[in-house]
Amino acid sequence: MDSLTQKIREIASNILKEGRVDMVIGFAKGTIPMTTKPYMARTPEQVENFIWDKNCTLNLANYITGRKEKIGIIAKGCDSRNIVNHIVENKISRDQLYIIGVPCSGMADKHNPDELRDNCATCTHRNPVIFDVMAAEPVEEQKIDDPFADVKAVEAMDKDAKWSYFEGLLQNCIRCYACRNACPLCYCPTCFVDESGPQWVGKGQNKTDIQTFHFLRAFHCAGRCTDCGACEAACPMDIHVRAFTRKLNKDSLELFGWEAGLDITKRPPLDTFNPDDPNDFIK
Amino acid sequence: MKVIKIDKKEWTGGIDKSREKYLLFGPVKDKDVTNKEHYIFKKLAAGEFPVMEGVDTVLSPKSVIFPQTEKILKSSLDQSQPDHHIMKRVENDYSSRAVIGIRSFDAKALTLVNLNFDTKDYQDPYWCDAYKATTFVGLAVNKPSDVDFSTSMGSGPFGEEGLDVLLVDNGEEFLAKVITDKGKTFLDAAGFNKTADESAVKKIEDLKAQAEKTIADKAKVGTDNLKNKTVLDLYEAPFWDDIAFSCINCGTCTFVCPTCWCFDIQDETKGKSCTRFKNWDSCMFPLFTLHGSGHNPRGVKTQRVRQRFMHKLKYFLDKYDKGTMCVGCGRCVQSCPVNIDIREVCNIMNNYEPKK
Amino acid sequence: MANLFEHIGMEKERLQFSWISSAEAGKFTNVATEVANTIEALGPIDKFVKKTD
Ligand code: SF4
Ligand code: SF4
Ligand code: SF4
Ligand code: SF4
Repeated sequence: MDSLTQKIREIASNILKEGRVDMVIGFAKGTIPMTTKPYMARTPEQVENFIWDKNCTLNLANYITGRKEKIGIIAKGCDSRNIVNHIVENKISRDQLYIIGVPCSGMADKHNPDELRDNCATCTHRNPVIFDVMAAEPVEEQKIDDPFADVKAVEAMDKDAKWSYFEGLLQNCIRCYACRNACPLCYCPTCFVDESGPQWVGKGQNKTDIQTFHFLRAFHCAGRCTDCGACEAACPMDIHVRAFTRKLNKDSLELFGWEAGLDITKRPPLDTFNPDDPNDFIK
Repeated sequence: MKVIKIDKKEWTGGIDKSREKYLLFGPVKDKDVTNKEHYIFKKLAAGEFPVMEGVDTVLSPKSVIFPQTEKILKSSLDQSQPDHHIMKRVENDYSSRAVIGIRSFDAKALTLVNLNFDTKDYQDPYWCDAYKATTFVGLAVNKPSDVDFSTSMGSGPFGEEGLDVLLVDNGEEFLAKVITDKGKTFLDAAGFNKTADESAVKKIEDLKAQAEKTIADKAKVGTDNLKNKTVLDLYEAPFWDDIAFSCINCGTCTFVCPTCWCFDIQDETKGKSCTRFKNWDSCMFPLFTLHGSGHNPRGVKTQRVRQRFMHKLKYFLDKYDKGTMCVGCGRCVQSCPVNIDIREVCNIMNNYEPKK
Repeated sequence: MANLFEHIGMEKERLQFSWISSAEAGKFTNVATEVANTIEALGPIDKFVKKTD
């Protein structure tokens, strides 16, 4: 058995036995190739179901929102950053968590098992940023010359080309909301697309309504998105949902020197005011 | 039963000929702006042909009969008009159409949806008109996918229920089994009329046995006890929380499913006109069965997940006595982002013995 | 937000921000005129507009 899997099971089993946590959230093996299933173990026996491999693509921070128990959670780099977000945004308290950090070497693309998925290829935070225990030695972080080359390619297009690119991106969206629901940031009790009084967006397959959903959802994630790729991992139609959030991540970095979920003492830039904030957009 | 032989060289010619009398739908390859490829069911434009290599589509062909968003009624809000605020049926096109390359389990699935939309007391006109106008030209599945478990769910790779014609790929030719008169009419319109010899029937049976064996070798889904369980035993069973834990309540499983029929009604107004739409709904969504009072009988995730499986595998079965409302296409198994697998859930339900 | 507008091919100038006190009537009319002029120069928008039929 893989040594990481072994170590994860060992730690999880110990903290359950010691009564430090009520449950541990991790990944179990899926029923079809290249899948895993988020899994909650409540007993040391159930811990044997945990695995760790290249298909642990979802973000487990999504499963702790608003829970009251003491939770053990297995966290790769991006999961840990979303846990930080959750703590900053008061969705869970630090004391409730026992974080088992897993240094990550990148998850596989869902259609090409031998390749890294897109967001993992440009990830520079593979090691958990917050943890109580690590399941292995940290891995070396990637040095990426130009992490936002894809965003720049779109920025370089003229405005009509941009528009047809974005129309094309969303043409197959079926509004199943898997992207939103897989996202740990999207925890609003009622999402703006579901609101009915007032109703902000039409609910059918009108393309403008679909575009509005994606445009605004992305903006709600500005300065909070960790580029964990859960949205794309979840999308049944293989839509490049990150095309929107990546632009905002780039802007956050350039305008505010900000990357989300690195520090539990700092609030995201759109949530704070700083006299040094760029304000040349105000006349 | 009559079997027609179609030489593949004559295929496209025949399909083109059929366009004179039919609107055609079928699976085609779609490539999006990021170069990702999928097969989707759609209306075929002139010169476009259905892919006949037995491809898997993420979405089922139910949208041909039951579009995700369908305009149903219209009215004027202009008070000076005598008929203002009176809803009138939108004129949709219900001329003859044929779905080419639909799989057996999908055709069967539509017969199940039909039970719900075309009843003795009520008929949904939008569904009924579209369903009646459609000829289903199926393509037998010689090589079932890894997630296909249709043989366990009352269908199968060569099932004929709901089809008008079943095409079987036999190398250089298609063997077309004529199932209904509607099917015959379509084949005539395409000019496919060479009767196959005796051996064709045997050939079809062989391919069928082979395909069914492929599925039987891996899929073991039991449904035999479902009928005898009581609804409340299953409803109150202790396993639902565990099954539902990983679910993110997206609409993927129900949107990809060929038998999910729930819809929601929405009105949209612009200026002085009002349109009423029917949109697919999903029991996974927070607005599903949300009452005007704010109460929702299925307010939390476990209840929603239970609703889906109980509807497919128990309520439907009890109500219509026509088997499960799952045909074993495997789409939800393939597409669920958290790998909630109906094959496993079905076995759990089927084997459940309540503690007395 | 304006940047994301621009990113999907809309003109960024369609979204403008200004900080005007209730005492700055002059500034208000100037900004309003300027906004109106810029938008007029851009012409009617053809993107992100819901079309129904
Ligand atoms: S998961 Fe994909 S198909 Fe579903 S709403 Fe999101 S982008 Fe659209
Ligand atoms: S597709 Fe999976 S995660 Fe989404 S609602 Fe269905 S069972 Fe839940
Ligand atoms: S429940 Fe799943 S396997 Fe069954 S018919 Fe629906 S999509 Fe197919
Ligand atoms: S209740 Fe759920 S499972 Fe049943 S048809 Fe509706 S969406 Fe599908």
